[in-house]
Amino acid sequence: MAKYWRSLEEYYEQPAFHEYLHREFPEAASVIPEGVSRRRWLQVMGASLTLAGVAGCRWEDEKILTYVERPANRIPGVPVKYATLVERSGVAIGVLATSFDGRPIKVDVNREHPQGFAGSDGLTQGSVLGLYDPDRIARDVETGGHNNLYNAKDAAVLREKTKSGRKARTWEQFENFASGWLSSVQGNGGADVRVLASASSSPSRQRLKEEFQQTLPTSQWVEYEPLSRDNELLGAEMALGSRLRVRYQLENADVVVGLDSDLFDFHPDALRHSKEWANRRVPENGEMNRVYAVESCYSSLGMAADHRFPLATSQIGAFVAELRDRLQGVLGGAAETEAGHSDDPKRAFLDAIVDDLTSHRGRSLIVAGPRQPPEVHAACLQLNSLLGNLGQTVTAVSIPDADRPTHAAGLQTLVDDLKAGTVKTLIILGGNPAYNAPAELGLGELIAKVPTSIRLGEYDDETSDLCTWYVPETHDLEAWGDGRSWDGTIGIQQPLIQPLHRGRSQIELLALLLNQSVKDGQGIVRQTIETLVPGTSGRNWEKAVHDGFVQNSALTPVASPQISGDLEGQLTSWFESIGSAASEGDAPAAEVVYLPDETVYDGRFANNAWLQETPKPLTKVTWDNVAIISPNTAKKQKLKDGDQVTIARGDYKMTVPVFQMPGIADNTYGVCVGYGRTLAGHVGGCAQDDVPTVGSSTYDVMALGAMGYDNSVKVTPVGASYPLATTQSHWAIDVAGMNEIGKRVGALVREGTKDEYEEHPSFATHRVHMPARIESLWEERDWTGDYQWGMSVDLARCIGCNACTVSCQAENNVPVVGKDQVARNREMHWIRIDRYFVGDPDHPENVGISTQPVLCMQCENAPCEQVCPVAATVHSHEGLNDMAYNRCIGTRYCANNCPYKVRRFNYYSNALPLMEEQKQLVQLVMNPEVTIRSRGVMEKCTYCVQRIQNTKITAKNERRLIRDGEIETACQEACPTNAIVFGNIQDDQSEVSRNHANPRAYGMLAELNTKPRTQYLARVRNPHPSLKDTYYLQPGEHGHDAEHADHGDEHGTHHEAEHGHDDHGHGDHGHDAHGKADHHGADHGHSKPAGTSTPAGTSSPAGTSSPVGTSE
Amino acid sequence: MASISLGSYDNTKEIPGQRAPLVTGDNNYQTVTDQVCLLAEKPKIPPAYFVALGISLIWLVILKMCIVHLLLNGVGVWGNMSPVFWGWPIVNFVFWVGIGHAGTLISAILFLFRQNWRTGINRAAEAMTIFAVICAGLFPGIHIGRVWFAYFLFPLPNTMLLWPQFRSPLLWDVFAVSTYATVSLLFWYMGMIPDLATFRDRAKSRVRQIVYGVLSLGWTGSARAWSRYEKAYLLLAALATPLVLSVHTIVSFDFAVSQLPGWHTTIFPPYFVAGAIFSGFAMVVTLLVPARKLCGLEDIITLRHLENMCKIILATGTIVGYAYAMEFFIAWYGGNPYEQFAFVNRAFGPYWWAYWTMVSCNVISPQFFWIKWCRTNPIFMVVICIFVNIGMWFERFVITITSLSRDFLPSSWGYFTPTPIDVLMLIGSFGLFFTLFLLFCRFLPVVAMAEVKSIMPDAQHRDPDPKTAEI
Repeated sequence: MAKYWRSLEEYYEQPAFHEYLHREFPEAASVIPEGVSRRRWLQVMGASLTLAGVAGCRWEDEKILTYVERPANRIPGVPVKYATLVERSGVAIGVLATSFDGRPIKVDVNREHPQGFAGSDGLTQGSVLGLYDPDRIARDVETGGHNNLYNAKDAAVLREKTKSGRKARTWEQFENFASGWLSSVQGNGGADVRVLASASSSPSRQRLKEEFQQTLPTSQWVEYEPLSRDNELLGAEMALGSRLRVRYQLENADVVVGLDSDLFDFHPDALRHSKEWANRRVPENGEMNRVYAVESCYSSLGMAADHRFPLATSQIGAFVAELRDRLQGVLGGAAETEAGHSDDPKRAFLDAIVDDLTSHRGRSLIVAGPRQPPEVHAACLQLNSLLGNLGQTVTAVSIPDADRPTHAAGLQTLVDDLKAGTVKTLIILGGNPAYNAPAELGLGELIAKVPTSIRLGEYDDETSDLCTWYVPETHDLEAWGDGRSWDGTIGIQQPLIQPLHRGRSQIELLALLLNQSVKDGQGIVRQTIETLVPGTSGRNWEKAVHDGFVQNSALTPVASPQISGDLEGQLTSWFESIGSAASEGDAPAAEVVYLPDETVYDGRFANNAWLQETPKPLTKVTWDNVAIISPNTAKKQKLKDGDQVTIARGDYKMTVPVFQMPGIADNTYGVCVGYGRTLAGHVGGCAQDDVPTVGSSTYDVMALGAMGYDNSVKVTPVGASYPLATTQSHWAIDVAGMNEIGKRVGALVREGTKDEYEEHPSFATHRVHMPARIESLWEERDWTGDYQWGMSVDLARCIGCNACTVSCQAENNVPVVGKDQVARNREMHWIRIDRYFVGDPDHPENVGISTQPVLCMQCENAPCEQVCPVAATVHSHEGLNDMAYNRCIGTRYCANNCPYKVRRFNYYSNALPLMEEQKQLVQLVMNPEVTIRSRGVMEKCTYCVQRIQNTKITAKNERRLIRDGEIETACQEACPTNAIVFGNIQDDQSEVSRNHANPRAYGMLAELNTKPRTQYLARVRNPHPSLKDTYYLQPGEHGHDAEHADHGDEHGTHHEAEHGHDDHGHGDHGHDAHGKADHHGADHGHSKPAGTSTPAGTSSPAGTSSPVGTSE
Repeated sequence: MASISLGSYDNTKEIPGQRAPLVTGDNNYQTVTDQVCLLAEKPKIPPAYFVALGISLIWLVILKMCIVHLLLNGVGVWGNMSPVFWGWPIVNFVFWVGIGHAGTLISAILFLFRQNWRTGINRAAEAMTIFAVICAGLFPGIHIGRVWFAYFLFPLPNTMLLWPQFRSPLLWDVFAVSTYATVSLLFWYMGMIPDLATFRDRAKSRVRQIVYGVLSLGWTGSARAWSRYEKAYLLLAALATPLVLSVHTIVSFDFAVSQLPGWHTTIFPPYFVAGAIFSGFAMVVTLLVPARKLCGLEDIITLRHLENMCKIILATGTIVGYAYAMEFFIAWYGGNPYEQFAFVNRAFGPYWWAYWTMVSCNVISPQFFWIKWCRTNPIFMVVICIFVNIGMWFERFVITITSLSRDFLPSSWGYFTPTPIDVLMLIGSFGLFFTLFLLFCRFLPVVAMAEVKSIMPDAQHRDPDPKTAEI
């Protein structure tokens, strides 16, 4: 059977659970048709009907009555969007949450929010599933099941660990405890009270923190995040004299140099960075930017970069030193070495960077990632200042809590205090320190020894388990709150639903502990905001809640940040020290880089099945973490994909399977954090219920001072292999397959250089042989009517971030199938992101990555429709390839005949688990506008037909046509870089029509006469002229020759009509005597040899590197 | 009344100017009847029969359990996945349909071509056809995702005015296979009526009298009955002949009409038909060599019969080999890079082992039949024929799975791994097949007695012109 969750059988079989279910869902539990009388049946059915419409209100009995008078603008069944925010690692993201009859089902970014995001990321998209996680219930260890009394008004949703065991407790009991507790600790000013909190940007929490410290002046408040950006702050302190937040303006940057940077991934401003970057990647928009990335493992920036150089994380400092010397030299007047004269790839790379930076002063940007030490950040700021970027592409803002101890230092102090035994009360707000603090600190044992420990957390997890009090925390969508986005704008968080598990937010708990007069979330937030921003009462408050943010509350940039005078000396000595350290010691045998995880982040999303099943952008691994290594390292260590290695630092160790990826720095092991949860829940692993953990935990081996990377570790192969579930096959593939992929990729993901584009804008259409006239066997429709839907995907903008995949999953009720099914290639995602490598794996600096979102192309001449024996997949008159799920019998012939392989088959009943009693809560996240597919039917992308229909109804009621941009598909709405555009191709002025008319547009596999409605816009790379011959662009099986060889008389007109270029000269040559080489040389020369380099991207075998386009 | 009375007469020798006898041994009409009826009437059944039937029944039960498991849980119990949406069930389907070709070919086409040697083997071959088609029909039936809606495939009038989609080869398949099954069954049954009447007439028990009486439809053996019978037989033979060619042609359309590289080729119809006959004859030989031994029918199903079948296997095997070569040639000559890769991938990709198993079994092994010893040694020919059947199963595996596993987009390539259920159901289908065949041997006339008698030497002498008997 398919498992939505992992190994839940044990879970159901607990008697306590059945008991809980009966209390929890009395109506469901009693609908067992065993000996039910007709009368009882009617009663039950009547009750079900009454309850059916109000599922979202859930257990608030007084609210299930229908409205006597319907509130204005509230139409049952019509989704409403509310502005609110979600917070991650102390940064708020303004979102719009879609609520369907009282239950939130989707979260998208609030585009009106001043932080300026166009789309969201997978984590934000996935966060809504967490709201309905059945594991967010206190685990009652006494009975082995979950706490089962929380349904009642005085539900015992809390847990206390007493001498006689673990007891369920109500909020009232906790309030009694809290009032006694405060008076007991106030005596000595709270000297034995410690607070360990997750980072938060909430002004209310900041206010309550200050009040806490006033009430208990000798207490200590420490914040800890495993994925900390403190190094950036420390670097700013070194360089600018105070802990300023550095912000980057990529819209102004012509040249971006990323040094181990996470500019597009985990940076709190990543969504804005990638949007601004993408707007500069479209050649028709003006001058393109150029991105250099130097990094050990791939970041999204590296995947999107024009040039990428793999370098061990620990070597970045030395690279910066070299760059600094060169730049200081050049800017100081020394003659620049001309770029393009070095055979050493690193040297050539550096030459190109220096050349670009110096010729784009004030319009360039050097940025380092959070793993890099403060000195590197300081050096980057210094270089940016030197280049005149400060104030242009780099700005700085001062932040409210700049004086807090760094996460590492704070945690260390706390650990020391705990070891000294001076702590009597420990309050843990959020986070999960028992799991994600380095194991060497032994924090878990120390927490367990504290006499009174109060844990507020969303889950009864590793940390909660050790504390004397477990207090449930609200989800972001359940509570009032506030928070600052990265630009400092104050956002208001409003709840969309009553707390499902009677949790309270951090601010509510603090107000309770401090025995404040205002204890409700809304009151606390109003109080804070009204003090902080005068005039936010009354209508202005309502407006702020409606908008989701307080207007003009962003932090203003520091007017003219100045580099401190003693920085030069500090840096010089530091660079000397690392230089001498490098020359003295041997190169470390292995270096482990701890990477934030794209799907579970720091581990907090480990119990989120959507995110666990989302393939990692690079490796496409699901349900596990791996150590990514270069093929060279694999060869040296004799490792294959899936072979396990032990990473050890002293007695602390972890075991993880390796996975080869070309372009990783040699001897680097890149391991994602956030796995190996032991008490995450029934998805992410739960030792108490024998649910195996997912992956292995990096925190077991990390040191507090080396949470970014560590080269003091020892890596030893275990000699065992571990099965991995990937959605694209491994890089290590047979020779025949590898060669073929190399030939094929260029025709699928079409790319060209900027020069090539300028020479020949429609280069993409010439990557394959496209016959002039293909006729269909069948009578073709004429596509008329008001609407013909189409889509365009701009590969130049795509960074392969997965936001579209998770958004589609949320919108279209795409099921999760579990690791064993993914391993059988049965994942269900309607939109996937294909990832291909191009270039020569033996020269890692020349390996590029191409990403391509693939969804149903809605072929006009759809191969799937022709082979379906029961007409279950048919075309609509608006050009959609519709699926009639009720008609489908599941022959799967359509999927065989689909060249894009975008059809997904329900091998098992993926919906059945949702009907199981205990998981009914998860049903609430389902979008009621999309059918839940049954077992045995095929499903696929429909361009979000439910959204099309809704908008059509609105437009029809208003007697008008749908406006361009009025309908957004879920993937489009989530895309942070605006790569996906949907619309009416019948309308010449629509954005999608203009994109289809763009010379870069091409249909993937259109040579099969599928006539896809989804068109791709070819990616254009902007290589530095001196690096062109080393940067190998995959030309594919160029197909150009065949094209001309075949075409008859109408050839010229055909192309001109279709692509509108008249400089092509097709008419001149027929199809007779042109050999391949002659052809290109004489007539086309799509990319003219620039300088001394060989042309990349077209016919000639480029340079010395062989076209090994490696795996998918 | 005697046929050739030399006990060890080798009728595979070609003696110029002399027809080799088709019934050897000291046989006359009576002994032929006695021999054929023996197994059904006076069961001195060898223990080997019970062992075989027991094993077959166990596998039949396993098959049934697998089907129940499948129906309860879903198609996921098989190894099917993306991009290999069709896995072993379709391989098995095509394999069994192929097997089901020999019987009707022997009965119909050889009948039309007046190949008298067919008479000894046609009944068993036809029975085999029917059983193979049953096995074949099983798989597409349970292969679909929602079995309970299988009736959507038939053009049944309904309130929603929904019709099947007539452009789909799967629909053609439904019609082709069901027509073939129907005609084959009719042909088989009609041909059996005189022999069933013989059984009836010789029956001692009441039950047998009634059952065979009903089955023989009141056959009296009158000249009028014989006349009608001969005409009907001829008509059915004429009707069945194009079906032999059409069924596998249409099955091949399932593949050829799609646009998958490796499937989308015009060579498929003749290639599939040749392959079907090839595998069908191999299966007939595999079955008849032990059956003639067990049933004591060596004089009726003689070595010459077996040798003839070996010759057909050699011919069709060579055609299949030619088709393999031609596929590669066209892939290269056609210039379609996707198709080129599909074939390179077959031979040198991750499924190279399946491809080379197929080539060695199907192309190399039948070449032994150029040697007379090989095609007249029953044990050797069974070994070769088993290889041929393995090879033909692999041919379908190669076509279905290898082509699907690597199609257009490398991102969705995948390696297919069968599940234990896949394996159990393949073996289970043999259980079904052998159970039915063994029951057939026990209860129905294994040899067309009436027809065999017509080609015995005395039949030719006594009644040179049967038409004179016609009224």
